Amino acid sequence: MLLDVRDLHVEFRTRDGVAHAVNGVNFAVDAGETLAVLGESGSGKSVTAQAVMGILDVPPGRITAGRILFRGQDLLKLREQERRRVRGAGIAMIFQDALSALNPVLSVGDQLGEMFVVHRGMSRKDARARAVDLMDRVRIPAAAQRVRDYPHQFSGGMRQRIMIAMALSLEPALIIADEPTTALDVTVQAQVMELLAELQREYRMGLILITHDLGVVADVADRIAVMYAGKIVESAPVRDLYKAPAHPYTRGLLDSVPRLDRKGQELYAIKGLPPNLMRVPPGCSFHPRCPMAQDVCRTDEPPLYPVSDGRGSACHFWRECLHGPDH
Amino acid sequence: MAPTTEPILEVSGLVKHYPLTRGVLFKKQIGAVKAVDGVDFTLHRGETLGIVGESGCGKSTVAKLLCSLERPTAGSIRFKGEDITGLSGRALKAVRRNIQMVFQDPYTSLNPRMTVGDIVGEPYDIHPEAAPKGERRRRVQELLDVVGLDPDYVNRYPHQFSGGQRQRIGIARGLALRPEVIVADEPVSALDVSVQAQVINLLDRLQSEFDLSYVFIAHDLSIVRHISDRVGVMYLGRIVEIGRDAEIYDHPTHPYTQALLSAVPVPDPEARAQRERIILTGDVPSPTAIPSGCRFRTRCWKAQRRCAQEVPALAVPEAFRGTAGPAAHASACHFAQEAAPVPPAPPGERRLNGNGPG
Repeated sequence: MLLDVRDLHVEFRTRDGVAHAVNGVNFAVDAGETLAVLGESGSGKSVTAQAVMGILDVPPGRITAGRILFRGQDLLKLREQERRRVRGAGIAMIFQDALSALNPVLSVGDQLGEMFVVHRGMSRKDARARAVDLMDRVRIPAAAQRVRDYPHQFSGGMRQRIMIAMALSLEPALIIADEPTTALDVTVQAQVMELLAELQREYRMGLILITHDLGVVADVADRIAVMYAGKIVESAPVRDLYKAPAHPYTRGLLDSVPRLDRKGQELYAIKGLPPNLMRVPPGCSFHPRCPMAQDVCRTDEPPLYPVSDGRGSACHFWRECLHGPDH
Repeated sequence: MAPTTEPILEVSGLVKHYPLTRGVLFKKQIGAVKAVDGVDFTLHRGETLGIVGESGCGKSTVAKLLCSLERPTAGSIRFKGEDITGLSGRALKAVRRNIQMVFQDPYTSLNPRMTVGDIVGEPYDIHPEAAPKGERRRRVQELLDVVGLDPDYVNRYPHQFSGGQRQRIGIARGLALRPEVIVADEPVSALDVSVQAQVINLLDRLQSEFDLSYVFIAHDLSIVRHISDRVGVMYLGRIVEIGRDAEIYDHPTHPYTQALLSAVPVPDPEARAQRERIILTGDVPSPTAIPSGCRFRTRCWKAQRRCAQEVPALAVPEAFRGTAGPAAHASACHFAQEAAPVPPAPPGERRLNGNGPG
């Protein structure tokens, strides 16, 4: 297993109290595999990514428990200096907003080359050559000329390619992409996702795709972990989950997607709002919004029940959900 | 209310160019950003017209022009037959009352220092004739109730609400003057998936309750299809294809529409293998330098010499003229051809047909 995250807990101490952003998350990614982490804002998906990458803001954030095993080694036990060596070379990250993730006063060539100067001790000239090479690989036209350009001179899609090039530069074994195409238009999104998938196959990298878009997940992921209020509520192979979700939250999300044959009718909407992370409801955190909730849901927190091979659901009534009224 | 054939808004030849100038003292115009470059459409009473397009295509500028927040460079907008583009003063104010806007970002479109009651009631300060002073508070509370908020919240501030609730506040403000047309510019794109559906349902319900006609602008194609009766596809300041929703989504004839539809990720992993993706190359050209002829030709795989010379008109393409099929709708392409971008799944085989949990 390339990455194995076990019982991860992250909290944020704020003036108003402690926000439990991640509450006991378990997942694993293999080489060449794409895991999608799906969730709405505040579900803890980005915080999980930041914890794995080691870029959590500490304080106010704090990892209170758990292990992050990368190739068998617990990253949380490493000293900052050793952690730095893993970051970039072992695990790299692609951010949502390329314009704010890139330095506006350095040319893209300098920013790409910096990776080789710092991590590989290359000369500036060699690093520049490698930068051009990388820009070629992510199919930026006229790379040799554009290497001198600054981030604002590129379009959104091209900037995201530069982010991908930067993540690939040290040939990491794992890439974490946090909403990589959310800021892009659909036609450009398709270009970027295709490029990412192709490079992943070529290098046999593990990919963690963090997103809120059910369509993107269906397009590229092998497995999916659905997060709600800091927990994974369902984890499954993508096909199984879309065919028959085993958690009412997943089901609600899939049902709220507008569909052709239901045009003119009301859309299914999950009632209420996601919980405030300072006051996560007791028992199952989804119970105030759940149409299937019973008394037990208000008191007992459901574990991740095994549903089938490689599939789990944190719902006391996963069977009823899986074989719901429309099956 | 079912859509009628009575036009409420007629837009023709609408153009908005923003001049690019150089120099401080002696300003010289060196070009123009052609944000909207010749848009025509009609909105019927009770109808929802969806406008889709990517960022920079001019769809938000169209929204501002419709609400008289910007003055067009050329063209006309007729509201119930009267051209409103030249109006000013009292006449303009009267028209604005009837065409209201719902904005995209519920975080920046509400004044953080005003209470919800003041925000929703502010239209009455500008149009005092709409509600007598003593009655305003009651009206505001009614509006909050209509959009699904607790009427007791009138004294709260926007930051005390979630994104979905704020969007409801924005909708209540849009309804305050009982307008006939609502222009909604990306009303749900800042919201979480589970909350989007709630707001879409609200807009749907309000339409029949208040006899509203909608211009619904968005980039999310599946949401636009759900809510719209007709859909127009914009590219670089122009509508390139327009028709009833099934005509556009199932029988698009313009290559841009086909590419756009094929690029949308579909929440169905089974469809992954069957889909034929059209991946466009390159980026949208700058609206300061629009290509000659057909503006889409620089990214089009069908482009020929004729496309660089002749601007294709937005009309039913010759090949389909006289036919009654769904491909016979307006499409601005010299080589319009029917294509189904997403293979229709056999009904009943997909799961997403539940009535929701429980």
